[in-house]
Amino acid sequence: MSEEKIKILTKDNRIITLKELFEEQEKTHKEQASLPFEEKIRILVELQKLALNWGNRKNVIVWDIKDV
Amino acid sequence: MRKTLEVINELKREGLIKDYAIGGAIAALRWTEPFFTRDLDIFVIPQKEPNEKELVILSDIYEYLKDRGYNQWIGQWLIIEGVPVEFIPAEGLAREALDNAITIEFEGIETRVISPEYLIALFLKAFREKDKAKIQLLLQQAEINMERLKLLLNKYNLTGRFNSIYKNE
Repeated sequence: MSEEKIKILTKDNRIITLKELFEEQEKTHKEQASLPFEEKIRILVELQKLALNWGNRKNVIVWDIKDV
Repeated sequence: MRKTLEVINELKREGLIKDYAIGGAIAALRWTEPFFTRDLDIFVIPQKEPNEKELVILSDIYEYLKDRGYNQWIGQWLIIEGVPVEFIPAEGLAREALDNAITIEFEGIETRVISPEYLIALFLKAFREKDKAKIQLLLQQAEINMERLKLLLNKYNLTGRFNSIYKNE
């Protein structure tokens, strides 16, 4: 079955195709790319914490930054 | 990271480096969505030119930072205000990238970051799997001046590597 035919019920009760889902994901990625640099660094630190605690990557250094 | 950048700006103000720019993953992250990375790569032009053996001396920087209390090393990274930093002497393509870096502000602190076009060229030069992934992110999400990029790729003989990735886009 093609991406145009497969339909998904979203959490906000919309019915969209798989193709539309991928397009929405792409849009979200681009929106994330336009976040302020400072916000991206905050997210990076959260990713480092995740990698250390959840991903069990013991060699990860979580940036110890109080400012951002 | 603001405090880390303040310390690096101090290196320039005190004459230990001529100039610097943020490179590597953190520079890429400036232009793309956030992604996991470990360290802050800082490309520097040291105050002292390479000696007769073409050896770049960074020890002045490390000595200065040691005197300022920054003496914790983890692997190749010096921890400055909680951030693992690696200083990389900028030569060749990296030097040109630094000269053309973009001035930005981070929490009110002025800093410089390598442009997406130069980052792509630098990642192509390294060409590890993680570099290819960053190139793809930049191509998908950053505003790339393709004319400028093509000129760079020609100049540094990176067109073949670029095409091998771009065809997969």
